[in-house]
Amino acid sequence: MRVRLIDLTRGLVQENPLLRLMIGLCSALAVSVKVENTIFMGLAVIFVLTLSNIVISAIRPVTPDNIRIPIFLVVVSSFVTIVDLVLKAYFPEVYARLGVWIPLIVVNCIILGRAEAFAYRNGILASTLDGLGMGAGYTLVLIVMGIVRELLGTGSITMMGVTLISLGTGFQAPTFMITFPGAFLTFGLIMGALNKAQSALAERAARRATGSAGRPTPVGGV
Amino acid sequence: MGEVQRYFLIFLGALLIYNILLIRFIALCSYFGISNSMDTSIGMSLAVIFVMMVSSTLSWGLWNYVLAPLGIGEFLYIPVFIFVIASFVQLEEMFIRKTAPTLYKAMGIYLPLITTNCAVLAAATEVAKPGFLKMSIAYNYTLPEAWVYTFGVALGYSAALILFAAIRERVDFAPVPGPLRGYPMAFVTSALMSLAFTGFAGLFGL
Repeated sequence: MRVRLIDLTRGLVQENPLLRLMIGLCSALAVSVKVENTIFMGLAVIFVLTLSNIVISAIRPVTPDNIRIPIFLVVVSSFVTIVDLVLKAYFPEVYARLGVWIPLIVVNCIILGRAEAFAYRNGILASTLDGLGMGAGYTLVLIVMGIVRELLGTGSITMMGVTLISLGTGFQAPTFMITFPGAFLTFGLIMGALNKAQSALAERAARRATGSAGRPTPVGGV
Repeated sequence: MGEVQRYFLIFLGALLIYNILLIRFIALCSYFGISNSMDTSIGMSLAVIFVMMVSSTLSWGLWNYVLAPLGIGEFLYIPVFIFVIASFVQLEEMFIRKTAPTLYKAMGIYLPLITTNCAVLAAATEVAKPGFLKMSIAYNYTLPEAWVYTFGVALGYSAALILFAAIRERVDFAPVPGPLRGYPMAFVTSALMSLAFTGFAGLFGL
């Protein structure tokens, strides 16, 4: 079996589950109030996604096609239960803050979506890489959202009781950012910024391509 | 608290104050995925109301008569509830296809999607395992209370979905700046809608 790097990197930008595939949004918007939460949530999702991808890929020869969804759900829910109980036992504070989002990883569309679209059709190694990449892409966006929301909403970023960045006492923090509407707004603007950056990059690449071929830049651009 | 008043508070809390989409962020995937057309939104809403009522009843019964008496609820509730919902939805899809083809045409294609609709699992778990969603009036639901609560949640889901679909059909024709066109604008729109719904917080001391 050949190892392809694309399986790992696909989830980061081109097919980022949150910004491009638009799946797994619920938990992302809800937990991004605090950077610390986002790191734990990201790790939980990477763990469940990678392991369930491995198992689903491994049992694919013996899975009947008609009842594959309930089977996927049983696999996923076992791993979610592991995370649920471990967090509750060792990190009770974090568990209290993440709350319902840990049990709800079961129905997180990313995990079932990747099981159906990737792990059910590919080998174990490729599925592992896909799980890691998609999980990392999810975590990345989550952390960016957490930084923006916590910094603007509270004026500082605290992690494990230590203040990392502070905007100073003169900053009047708009609590709007850490409430529910702030999550929608932040996510919409991040998505808009990514669109803008991608179209700018594409435009520059197109201009360079035409420039090196010695042709004039087309009027109107891309 | 009077009987009627309690039901009213549970219903209103589930419908407006803790609106499952805009305040709880549960089931957002379907919210953004299907709200681009009014017809699909209405079809999905009907399917969700139906599935949610039945799955909450099932989970309530399972918790109170099987899981809690045996003392295995704490670590088995996730697999049991999701398995019950998934198999029930599958069964229902086959049943409707056989007995009511018209109904199947109207809401059949949404049924498989509902399995991964977090709102169904969230409501089913909340009525069975109180305190799951951390509502300020969390307690042990009786069966009628569970029905009232679930109906409130499902109606709140439908209301937010249909309102949003109506707004999105208009926004499609609005002059939106280039990079924000499409989904980003949908998020900004729902930020404003969510802001309106936060206005209900604190109503009746909930």
